Amino acid sequence: MSMKTAFSSPRVRLIAVVSTALLAVASLSIPTVAQGAGVFKVATSAAVTTWDPVQSFSTEAFYMTNIYEPLLWKNPDGITPEYSPALATSWTSSKDGKTWTFKLRAGATFHDGSPVNSAAVKASFDSSKKIGGAGFIWDPLKSVETPSDDTVVLTLSYAAPMDLIASSTYGAYIVNPKALAAVAADSKYYESGKDGGSGPYTISSYKAGSSVVLSAYGKHWATDKPDYSTIDISIVPDGITAQQMMTSGQVDWSTNIPLTSMATLKKNKKYSVITYKSPFNYVGYFNTLRAPLNNPVVRQALSMALNYRDITAIGGQGYGTQARGVVPAGIYPYDPAIPQYSMARAKAKTMLDRAGVKDLKIKITYASENSAEARFVPLIKDAFAAIGVTAEVQGILFNQQWAAAKKDPANAQDLFIVKYWPTYSDAGVDNLWSLFHSSTKPFFNLSYWKNAAYDKLVDDAIELSGSDKAAAQKLYSQAMMMLYTEAPGLYLYDEAQVSVVPKKFSIPKYNINYPFSAFFAGVKLS
Amino acid sequence: MKTKLAGLSFLFKDTLTTIATVMMSIFIGAAIFAPWLAPFPKEGAGETNVDNIYIGPGWHHLLGTDELGRDLLSRIIYGARPALLIALAVVGFAAIIGTLLGLIAGYRGGWIDNIIMRVSELFLSFPPLLLSLVAVTFLGPGLVNALIALIISWWPWYARLIRVEASIVRSKPYVEISAAMGVPDRIIIVRHILRNVTTPLIVQIAADLGTVILAAGSLAFIGLGAQPPSADWGLMVAQGRNLIFDQWWISTFSGLAIFLAVLSFNIIGDALRDHFDPRIARQ
Amino acid sequence: MRILWNRLSSALLVLCAASFITFTLARVIPSDPALAYIGPKATAADSAKLRITLGLDQPIPVQYFKYVWQTLHGNWGYSLSTKQPVLQEIINRLPATLELIFFAMSFAVIFGVAMGVYAAKYRGRLQDSVIRIVAIAGVSMPAFWLGLLLQMLFAGRLTWFPATGQFDIDLKYDNPISKVTGFPIFDSIITGNFAATVNGLHHMVLPALTLSAYSFGLLSRMARANLLEVMSQDYIKVARAYGLSERLVFFKLALRNALPPIITVTGLSTAYLITGTFFVEQVYNWPGIGSFAVNSLLSIDYPAIMGITLLAAVGYLVINFIVDLIHAKLDPRVWMR
Repeated sequence: MSMKTAFSSPRVRLIAVVSTALLAVASLSIPTVAQGAGVFKVATSAAVTTWDPVQSFSTEAFYMTNIYEPLLWKNPDGITPEYSPALATSWTSSKDGKTWTFKLRAGATFHDGSPVNSAAVKASFDSSKKIGGAGFIWDPLKSVETPSDDTVVLTLSYAAPMDLIASSTYGAYIVNPKALAAVAADSKYYESGKDGGSGPYTISSYKAGSSVVLSAYGKHWATDKPDYSTIDISIVPDGITAQQMMTSGQVDWSTNIPLTSMATLKKNKKYSVITYKSPFNYVGYFNTLRAPLNNPVVRQALSMALNYRDITAIGGQGYGTQARGVVPAGIYPYDPAIPQYSMARAKAKTMLDRAGVKDLKIKITYASENSAEARFVPLIKDAFAAIGVTAEVQGILFNQQWAAAKKDPANAQDLFIVKYWPTYSDAGVDNLWSLFHSSTKPFFNLSYWKNAAYDKLVDDAIELSGSDKAAAQKLYSQAMMMLYTEAPGLYLYDEAQVSVVPKKFSIPKYNINYPFSAFFAGVKLS
Repeated sequence: MKTKLAGLSFLFKDTLTTIATVMMSIFIGAAIFAPWLAPFPKEGAGETNVDNIYIGPGWHHLLGTDELGRDLLSRIIYGARPALLIALAVVGFAAIIGTLLGLIAGYRGGWIDNIIMRVSELFLSFPPLLLSLVAVTFLGPGLVNALIALIISWWPWYARLIRVEASIVRSKPYVEISAAMGVPDRIIIVRHILRNVTTPLIVQIAADLGTVILAAGSLAFIGLGAQPPSADWGLMVAQGRNLIFDQWWISTFSGLAIFLAVLSFNIIGDALRDHFDPRIARQ
Repeated sequence: MRILWNRLSSALLVLCAASFITFTLARVIPSDPALAYIGPKATAADSAKLRITLGLDQPIPVQYFKYVWQTLHGNWGYSLSTKQPVLQEIINRLPATLELIFFAMSFAVIFGVAMGVYAAKYRGRLQDSVIRIVAIAGVSMPAFWLGLLLQMLFAGRLTWFPATGQFDIDLKYDNPISKVTGFPIFDSIITGNFAATVNGLHHMVLPALTLSAYSFGLLSRMARANLLEVMSQDYIKVARAYGLSERLVFFKLALRNALPPIITVTGLSTAYLITGTFFVEQVYNWPGIGSFAVNSLLSIDYPAIMGITLLAAVGYLVINFIVDLIHAKLDPRVWMR
């Protein structure tokens, strides 16, 4: 068919025209638009579960630490002093640790102009303790007194480190009492994107599941004003998409980049790849209610089957360190003297034989959305197979994994893999208590393990940590030893936080105490 | 019917169909003989090899290795198993259930017909795949649940198809006479109705096999189908997604397997349809 | 008229039952709504409190009645994970998906039918074979795979197109689109904001191509098959025998008779596109109903899931209804059945 007859057909002509048009669109180099001045563009997978600072207990912490402020911030591990003043400029505690006095900062205001005073602090703490998502952190709090506008006195029913608790990433924000009243009247008050904070940024616009735009609060107390007056954050569920948006220039910075991409990004001269300790670790619970997993020897044997080096390498893609128990490195009360299991499969097999275990079948569940777990759980299956234990692996959606585990302990999984982190930087009152303290209804203790001696150690340690940290640490260490010897869980690895930062920007260092957060006020062009 | 299929020559009627037949044979062969065909059978079945992660396609590993060091070619060969299993199981059960219900509805007529057809319509009122997605979400991810979810969506097509054919045949004079003569229902059904229904049924089954593989792959890609460490093509595409820009071979070849399998089934389905009645309009 | 009434009433029945099925699935199967609502740290106490807040402690029939009542009044519940009203979320996200479907469908119809007709005209020749292979490949291609491939090739390696998103993020600061109809690309044309139009189209190319593949193949095959069948009819031979020009025969007679079934199929494939958008939007991070649906499914956000299912069922019904109407208009024989 000749070209002439080809093009005489109107169809072909139509095709030709449209194709040319498409190609034209394709090859169009979109003129580089002038970057919106003072706009810092970010891509993250941090979804907003709620904008309510009292209820907040999830990934929205990424934004919250820019909009709200606690009384004080906890500094990253290794920095002195331990805390930075935020809405409180100084604080003291009584000798017995049961009374704490905070002096509030003069001139701090909420975004609507009303002052941050002791009444606001009282209202916030009372609300959080009563109905907060992380309200349990205020368990030791008996009452909040406001002797003057700039003084707050916390009276506790038992000694507790209120400086640590008041710096929590959840449940400790000081909220505008007007907002607290509004949400009491209408539970959905915040959800359209309103805030009652005092922080350097306020919510300028919010499109659920899509984007959050923060704009700088002009009257913030800090003398150093943020370089960027607008932070434009795109919510992107997939890490690879966020990464691509950064490398193609759509955004300036992306968080939650898949660990699998780090090797390539390291080679890219435009970015620095920085590793930090994070409070996240991976833990497996054994179902201690089910024979033969109720036998600690069996659990120890299973612990010795794992190739921890490979699991850490594959799960963490090289950014992890084998865990020592359930307390992540860098978080109190971590103890580097706590032993770890290492791979000893022959010994494990012998132990199983001696315990009379034959043809053991284990059901492992993990959250199918967690890509790290999806990567390393097959290694656990292989490890168990190597000592003659057959494992059935079930990846189910996180919500269902938990629902099933809590509903019927006797028939639930045999090994529950979970990624955990403490609500605030105390893994004694959180990890050690929440994960393994006995409870009648499974709370987080999905090993269903009940050990009175362990309970007492942890309870006593919690009581002491407000007044005598050293003594508390001793008790915690004993508790952690018990977790090692009794092995109600599998202690996999601590996951490092890996940040990819474009060299042209200077972004505040990751703070292990605020693991989900980014602090935008400190972002500068380097 | 016997004479029509005895000549399987339609499978080789032209180049394209021949290629498709060859591909389909490879696919079925891979599913059955995976342990013998795969260059690294243990890895294909799921065993990890942590020292070999992210190797690109080359001589030793023809299609490269995945994120756990497993040979990709072996994984793809083993992946033929869940694909074929789902295709046969879903279409098989859907056809059986649908045919049974369709026969009853078309033959009996009356209120049974009404109920069965209303129920079918109800299921068909959902866009294809949506019902499966919702069902498998609530049942929980996994191969078996995906299977159930797909069967739930698929049987109404067969019920409707068979019912139409059955009621047409039912009203034919020779059938009415047989019924009047007292010939038992089930003999009428088998002798007259089934015989006429078989052709469109086979054509529909052939057309559906490919579609089911596609649907199952889609479910697995989202994360609601087969779970690790099983080798499932859709799952493997999803696992390679984060690596698409650098370790591109994982998603690319796994998806290619789905594509070629579905393509071969579709081409053969076409050939089958042409063979039975080349003049039926493609409705 | 009676046919219309029949269709409407059965459509309503179907909707009722559809809502019932989704509702049952959501309530009967175990999952912990607290985890979607509060977050991974939700405690058993939170969960218990939440059940009461959400009304999950009431007997099932009561819950169902409340659900139907509220739905009819426009209260489609609140998404567990985003706390936004489900209906609002759907309305916000619908334009993006509809625009995507529009472009995908336009491409599929124009090129698919054109190719099919072309193949029929040159039946048996090389063009025909090539087009047939392309068409059947289109129907066999997994949408998510095609999306990833296009992304990798044209956005990753060749950087001709953006990999994700509906617009450049800079656009809302430099050339914001004023809202007229709510459909961004059309609004940008109406308001003369052509920088935005170009940017939008630039982002639209890959997702629309990916989404259109299946329909393109389907329509191509249908067009070709129908046209061939019509061309073999007797009246065509008669027309030719009478000396009517080939052009007249082809365009005036054959095409006109071959096209009505195409319209039916177009309607049906639009319905296929509804679930197709789930995968395409996920791969391209398109802010439409599809990605919302996938996220809702994965977080078992049952109010959102029920809302989307209802929407999809309604959309499907409406499309089928319209298609039937058009078909009836074009082919009066339908009335006689």
